[in-house]
Amino acid sequence: MAAYERAFDTLGLRSWCDAGAISGPMSMDDLLAKAGAAGTDQTESFPFPSLDVLHKACGAIPRTRDMTAGLERLFLDVKDPAKVVLDPVTQPLSWALRNAIDLMQSLPWWAAILILVAIAHCAGRRIGVTIFVLVAFLGLAFIDHFGYAMQTLAIIMVCTFICVLFGVPIGIAMSRSNRLERWLTPFLDLLQTLPTFVYLIPLIFLFSVTEPKLYGIAIILYAIVPSIRLTNLGIRLVDKDVLEAGEAFGMTSWQKLYRVQLPLALPNIMAGINQTIMLSLSMVVIASLVSAPGLGTLVLRGINKLELGVGLVAGLGIVLLAIVLDRVSRAALQRVNKMHQSRT
Amino acid sequence: MTESFVSIRNLYKIFGNNAPAMVSYAKAGMHKKDMLQAYGHVLGLRDINVEIKKGEITVIMGLSGSGKSTLIRHLNRLVDPTAGEIIVNGTDIMKLDRARLQQLRRTQMSMVFQKFALLPHETVLRNAGMPCSVRGDGRAKTDQTARKWLSRVGLAGSEALYPHQLSGGMQQRVGLARALTSNSELMLMDEAYSALDPLIRSSMQELLLELQKDLQKTVVFITHDLDEALKLADHLVILKDGEIVQQGEPQYILLNPADPYIEDFVSDINRARVLRVRSVMEKTIAEDDGYEVLDGDETLERAILRSHGAADKSFAVHSDGTRVGTLKMTDVLKALVPTAATGRNHTNV
Repeated sequence: MAAYERAFDTLGLRSWCDAGAISGPMSMDDLLAKAGAAGTDQTESFPFPSLDVLHKACGAIPRTRDMTAGLERLFLDVKDPAKVVLDPVTQPLSWALRNAIDLMQSLPWWAAILILVAIAHCAGRRIGVTIFVLVAFLGLAFIDHFGYAMQTLAIIMVCTFICVLFGVPIGIAMSRSNRLERWLTPFLDLLQTLPTFVYLIPLIFLFSVTEPKLYGIAIILYAIVPSIRLTNLGIRLVDKDVLEAGEAFGMTSWQKLYRVQLPLALPNIMAGINQTIMLSLSMVVIASLVSAPGLGTLVLRGINKLELGVGLVAGLGIVLLAIVLDRVSRAALQRVNKMHQSRT
Repeated sequence: MTESFVSIRNLYKIFGNNAPAMVSYAKAGMHKKDMLQAYGHVLGLRDINVEIKKGEITVIMGLSGSGKSTLIRHLNRLVDPTAGEIIVNGTDIMKLDRARLQQLRRTQMSMVFQKFALLPHETVLRNAGMPCSVRGDGRAKTDQTARKWLSRVGLAGSEALYPHQLSGGMQQRVGLARALTSNSELMLMDEAYSALDPLIRSSMQELLLELQKDLQKTVVFITHDLDEALKLADHLVILKDGEIVQQGEPQYILLNPADPYIEDFVSDINRARVLRVRSVMEKTIAEDDGYEVLDGDETLERAILRSHGAADKSFAVHSDGTRVGTLKMTDVLKALVPTAATGRNHTNV
């Protein structure tokens, strides 16, 4: 300890240290030290020069908790100007989510099931999958979870749509510029590895918990990554020969995009969308912490009130929904793949 | 027939970060290996001069790595040269901007690829119609043109299929139909038949020759197969390590190889089947010598068959009904033995 004080003295920084001394509420360590019950580490002659240790030697250096408090202040300072821009931009998301949820719930059960089964059949064209979807929804309705499942499904559909709407163009841009790819990749890594709860913290500050866009943004940020990545990858993997053929016959870069690159990248893009749907589903459960309706709220109730049965059944309902979404999107993917197996 | 459609003049292609600076070394005659060792640049093509005649099939032949695929990609600027001129139909294509280059590719040239390069998600009809739809022609007109050329290459009835439902040979027929649909003068064929098995390759060669009789396109054909080259070529260009070793009429190259490399190359060829009577005959015309009549375009094999093995026989050679020369069987026998390189540099007929 004394070593650091001496170091500041010899560097001639003592006056700077004392002048800029940061005082704050006492920390636990201070209290303990004052009480004379000095911890063993305090007598250590050469502790790691962390912020807290250096603060003791020189008052001008901030403590770690000053740093986190500073970060919070910074966030609160930029929050209001950010809201001016973010609020109107994200308002359509709230509107879309609210309407989608209302729409799904206002449909009579038979109409909802009919529409969903029809969508599943058009996407997958596999009779087995279609029957499975029908049975799954009838089962959910039978145990009175249909309404919750519809809410969850509505959120997923809206969020997936927006993920594709933004993710595919971003992926295309990324495939065209190596520099953009280099810059965006760490950001995408961050989005994917950040613990899901941590997403929610800044969002809660930014938006009111009553607004659907709060969980909408959380889901989209988390689920958009595979759409971007796999679009980028798919376009980069497009057969160079076919692209060259397009070039040789005088295609413009726009023609190359929609006649060669996007169709040939479609299997990969679809795989990305499949992943996006799955990630939306996993996030929508966590987002129930911030008022996202649906099956997740039941899981949350199960945890909060220790209602084992409620939580378990809702959890299994989510699994069922996941299987439905996965099988349908994968059947669609396989249909596309079949058309693409041209390399002999 | 003698008008040049494409002229390639003093073309150099060097791969590397500082390629333009390397041109002077290449011009000074630095060897490919030395340039790679000393400067880390790859000499792709050195001082290429080729005149591609309108209505002829020009075959560019070389082994892999000889730069032939790079060369053909210069003609539609899929690859840009480091130095040199490429004149297509009177236009210096190096001076074209992006839009005019696209226009040129759409109207003046078409290409057939080794790996077919068809769009897997579009039907045969749409694939064949691609050049038209890229150009912005209406659907009806596009389909009509595509249908016409598909039936011309023997694919009538397969219009609604997808490429993966066809065999390799059929896929390449679609590739050929696509090139024809563009209705452009210049047809670039990059090892178009190399991926096909021998029987199908042979029938595709026949198809090309048959189409050529009617259409008289200007064809640039890349191959590594000498038999194919000799079968198709009106004008043969032989590339080695990015340089032209010899170019000229195939018959002439066969009889007068310029250097040991070509000698080696042509030594395995069945000369009796490739050489024509007109290449071996003497141009002396004595009237009424009573010899049997033989067409100038017949192969030596035919002549040997007609002579029943008699070495002292002679034939009167006719072309288009008129007497053009005399063929002595002794010359035929001499021509069957590969000639040694003359040492002189024959780069022109």
